[in-house]
Parts: sequence; C-alpha cells; structure tokens
Amino acid sequence: MTMKLGLKLAALATAVSALLWGCGPSKPVLNLYTWSDYIDENLVKEFEKQYNCKVVIDTFDSNEFMYAKLKAGGSGYDVIVPTSYMSKIMNDQKMLLKLDHSKLPNSKYIDKRYLDNLAIDKKMEYCIPYMLGYTCIAYNKEKLGDIPQTWEVFSNEKNKGRMTMLNDYRETIGAGLMFNGYSINTRNEKELEKAKEQVLKWKKNLAKFDNEVYKAGIQSGEFLVVQGYSGDLFQVLDESPNLSFMIPKEGVMIACDDMVIPASADNPELAYKFINFFMDPKNAAKNMEYTCYAAPIPEAKKYLPEELRTHPGMIFPEALFKAGQIIQDLGDDNAKYLKVWDEIKISQ
Amino acid sequence: MNTMNHKSDKKLPELLSTAPSYLWLFVFFLLPSLLVFAIAFKSADSSGGISDSWTLSTISNVLRQDYIIVLWRTIWVSVVVTALCLLLSIPVAYWIAQQPKKYRYWYLLLIIIPLWTNFLIRIFAWRTLLHPEGFLRTALLWLGVIPDDMFLLNNMGAVITVTVYTCLPFAILPIFAAAEKFNFALLEAARDLGASRFKAFYAIFLPGIKRGILTAILVVFIPAMGSYAIPDLVGGVDGELLGNKIALRASANRNLPEAAALAAMLSIIITVPVLAFMLKHKRLLRNIISIRRSAGDSTK
Repeated sequence: MTMKLGLKLAALATAVSALLWGCGPSKPVLNLYTWSDYIDENLVKEFEKQYNCKVVIDTFDSNEFMYAKLKAGGSGYDVIVPTSYMSKIMNDQKMLLKLDHSKLPNSKYIDKRYLDNLAIDKKMEYCIPYMLGYTCIAYNKEKLGDIPQTWEVFSNEKNKGRMTMLNDYRETIGAGLMFNGYSINTRNEKELEKAKEQVLKWKKNLAKFDNEVYKAGIQSGEFLVVQGYSGDLFQVLDESPNLSFMIPKEGVMIACDDMVIPASADNPELAYKFINFFMDPKNAAKNMEYTCYAAPIPEAKKYLPEELRTHPGMIFPEALFKAGQIIQDLGDDNAKYLKVWDEIKISQ
Repeated sequence: MNTMNHKSDKKLPELLSTAPSYLWLFVFFLLPSLLVFAIAFKSADSSGGISDSWTLSTISNVLRQDYIIVLWRTIWVSVVVTALCLLLSIPVAYWIAQQPKKYRYWYLLLIIIPLWTNFLIRIFAWRTLLHPEGFLRTALLWLGVIPDDMFLLNNMGAVITVTVYTCLPFAILPIFAAAEKFNFALLEAARDLGASRFKAFYAIFLPGIKRGILTAILVVFIPAMGSYAIPDLVGGVDGELLGNKIALRASANRNLPEAAALAAMLSIIITVPVLAFMLKHKRLLRNIISIRRSAGDSTK
C-alpha cells in the first residue's frame, strides 16, 4: 500500500520535475536514484549552484525494486545508491561503470577500517561507500532496567509477546548464526540448521517478525525489546529518554549503502563531481546530521556540532569494525536461507 | 429485412460505446493476468531475472506442504471473516431497511463515512485500540475476562477483527440494497399463517435477499483471500497469509515466477467457484439480462 503511494508520488515528482526542467534554460541534469529522506537537500542545492546544474531525485524503497526497474529497461540515472550486496550483483551483471579515481580525489577520506574489515569492494572499483548503518536492539529501560548485551535477550520469557525481530530472512537468521559464532554469510547447512533452532526458540517469545511497526511500537510501549535498523531506532531514541539501545556482544549486521554510476548514465562526468562533493568531510558531516546515519569519513567528525560527536548513529562504533559483519549476496545459496526462513515461519 | 437493418444499425453504436471498457479490461486486467499465468511457467535465476526456458518446476514447487498450510490458513481466515461479516451485516441491513425513508440514508452515511479515512490509518487506529497497555486490554484485565499473558494484538484474532471491520461496509451495502426492495408485508403474512418470528426471518426474509447475500459473500471473501497489509500490521509470528508470501517472493526474494505461481493459484481458487456458481445460476443471469432488455424495450 505505502509502496504504491510512494511510487505514484515518485512518478508524479519525476513528471513535474521533468516538466519544470523542460521549461527552464537547458542546464545539465543529474538524475539521482536513492532511498527517500536520505540526502540533505540543502547540500543538493549547494551542489546545483556550484556546478550550475539541476539534480532530479527519484526514490525507491527496496533494492530489489530498484534492480527490477533497471533490469526492465529503466535508464537515465547518473548516480544510484544501492546497498553493497546489491552493488556487487549490479557489478557482476556489468551494469556499473568502473570508477576512475583521478576524478574522485576525495576518496582519500574514506575510512580504511571500513574498507579493510567490512567492505565487499575493498578497492572501491565500482562503488563508493555512502552511509553505514547497523542492526541493533532498542529496549525500554524504564521497564526492564539495564539488560545484558546479548541476542539471548529474546529468550527471556518474562517479555513474551512484547518483543519483535526483523521480518527479514538474512537479518534474523543472521542473528541466530552470529549467536552461535558462525558467519552470517555461511553456506553450511548444519550451521544454518543450528541458527534455525535458535530463532525458533526466540520465536516463542516474539510478538511478531516486523519491519513496519516496531518503531512506533517501542516508542508507545507496545514492545519492550525490538531488533531494528540503527538510523530508524536512533530517530526514536533521540526523542525518548525512557528507551535505550544495546549492541549484542556476539556481533551485529552492518549495512552500507554505496554510490555507484550505472553504465547507462547520461552524464557520468557530473556523476563523478556529485560523488566527490558528498565525500568532502564538511558536506558529509551535514549529511550525517540530516540522515542520522554514519558516513564512513572519519574527518567529518570535527565538523559535527560538539554534542553529536559521540552520537552512536553518526559515529560508527569502533568495536563494530571487528564485531560487525556485512551481508553478502550468496547467489544460488540464497535458496538455503529461504528454505530455513520458510521453516521458521511455518513452525508452530 | 427492415428489422435486420434496424438491428445492425443499433449494434454499431453499442459496439463503439462498449469498446473502450472492453479495451480497458483487456489491457489492464486480462493481459496482466495472462502474463502472471505465463510467468508461473518460468523459473528465476539467482540475480532475480526470469529464465528464458519453460518449466513446470515452479508450479510443482508451490504445491509443497508449507504453502498448503499457508493456503489453508488463508482460506479458513477468509471463511471466518465472511461468516462474521454476514452475521453482523444482515441484522444491520434488516434494521436500516425498515427505518423511515428519510432516515435510512443517514444511517447508510454513518456506515460509509469511516471509509473516507485512509485504510492504513484505520489499521493503525486499531493498533492503538488494542495496545497491550491501552484502555481496552487494561479494562479486560481488571475485569478478569482475559488472562495476564493474553494480548489483543499481533495474533489471528486481531487479523480477523480488523479484516471484518474493514470489509463490513461492503457487506452491508449490497444486503441493504436487496433488503430495501424486499416486501416486508410478506413477513407479516408469514406470521399470520403461523410462522414464528425466527421462522419468518429464516424462511422468507433470507431467501428474499439471497442476491444481496451472495454479492456480499463475493465482495468480502475475495479481498480477504488476497489480504496482505492487515496480517502484516496486526498479525503475529504465525499470521502470515498467502498475500504476504506473494509479496515476499516478489520483493526481497527476487523470485517473480514463484510469486506469479502463487498469485495464479490464488486466482484459480477464487475464480473457479465463482464461475461454477455463475454457470449454475445461468438461468438467473439470463433472467436479469432479459429483464434489462425488456426494460430497454419499454422505454422505446
């Protein structure tokens, strides 16, 4: 439902902006395809002024939808912001431009700790990391007090019916894998079986598997413990002093959204300038403040206001470079995860 | 000869005036449906594309046990929802149809007004109503009606409640339309002839509004079978219905053929009984058509 509405609005927005652009003097246009509310529009205006161009933003709400649209012949985008597993798929499908780093001088600011420990594309051959987020657990501190830092929180029967885990097969099976000390990208069926048993144990105490209502639910007191995405959760946590968050010691999933230039881009030169502009530490800091996510640019920290320099959403927790894992696409082995997920869903 | 000419004269404008709606149905309904059925005979590749070759494996895959469990769950939820909607809407329609004419449409308006609020907003309103620390649950706990560990949200009960709530107006309207045309003097006659109140209602009123009831069943059962947002938002860990499976396959799983096979299965399950019903009641349909024709003749 919401997606349909979003689509219509997006289509309308594109149509209107195309119309407006059609009327004005013909400036070069950069077409950006990204998640909604994921870029500071004042920065976009600044970029438009600096390079005397027009930026048209189109949005998607899932990687798969974006990918399907491009595969179905959607073109004309100059910069796209997919999650890194999807950047890899797109690169494997020869849909992306190989990046020319002489046009991206600001890439020197990108965090080496991210590139060495987590990144899929360690040499930034086809993508530049844009924002980092992670999965963590928010809980009601007022009701539960401090809780130990572990995924085991979902085994606590006292909170039965008041906890949620994500309705996402990679994230939730991943939690089970991490809890058992396995890689979240394992292809080993025995390990997956163990993770399944773990998630089934947790399932008994969950209200639901959910991606939609957990944010409102933890804020209103409906849920006491929720697994969620850091950016989402920190938006709520910043407003609610009775809530707190916890990063399980067994590790969490990291997600990185990248900036890529599709091979079909009409204006790759402008796309390079755009990506370079957003890697400028000053701009990255403004963008972090706007999105509540962490740009992997350590230099940006000093441009953040004093009180935000320890914000756990914008400053990526140091420990996660080692304890975090990044979801990778597993090709045909995805089916193993789907099978386990179906079994988890159907089991009573 | 003259009549023949007359007929073909009439046919052309009729054809022209109905062509746009047929074209619309063909392009936006029939063609996409056929595409869904066609894609069900393909398989997905790991990057989310659709294979070039044809296969039966996708179809046989969706007939496996866990889908059947979800399908069965979807059917019983839809049947319960439809039954509850009928149970609630028949008395309401019966009552409204007997009110003085000038008030009737005010009552109908009261039923329709909630539909002006967005569907999703109304579901979220239910989430507030059924909140574990909300008024309703606290009151029920205080009265000792429900045990401590029972929640009103995130379970099948919530899914059924909210679905009944959203479908109810669509059940009331056709039943009311039928009840309004019903001659209530027949009920008095039945009572005069010795029928009990219940018997008169059961043996005279219900058959009298049969068409309204059948329409109500269709407009409730079909959307309930394809329900997706409600189980997602108010359902619990075991609340997944077929609609949710289709959404999952089509989006996160990047498996369009399997989504298409499930969607095809769903539409067959819905279409076959409806078609069977329509064939069985062909006479009824023909009657309606002939009534319309004769009405058209009389205006001439």
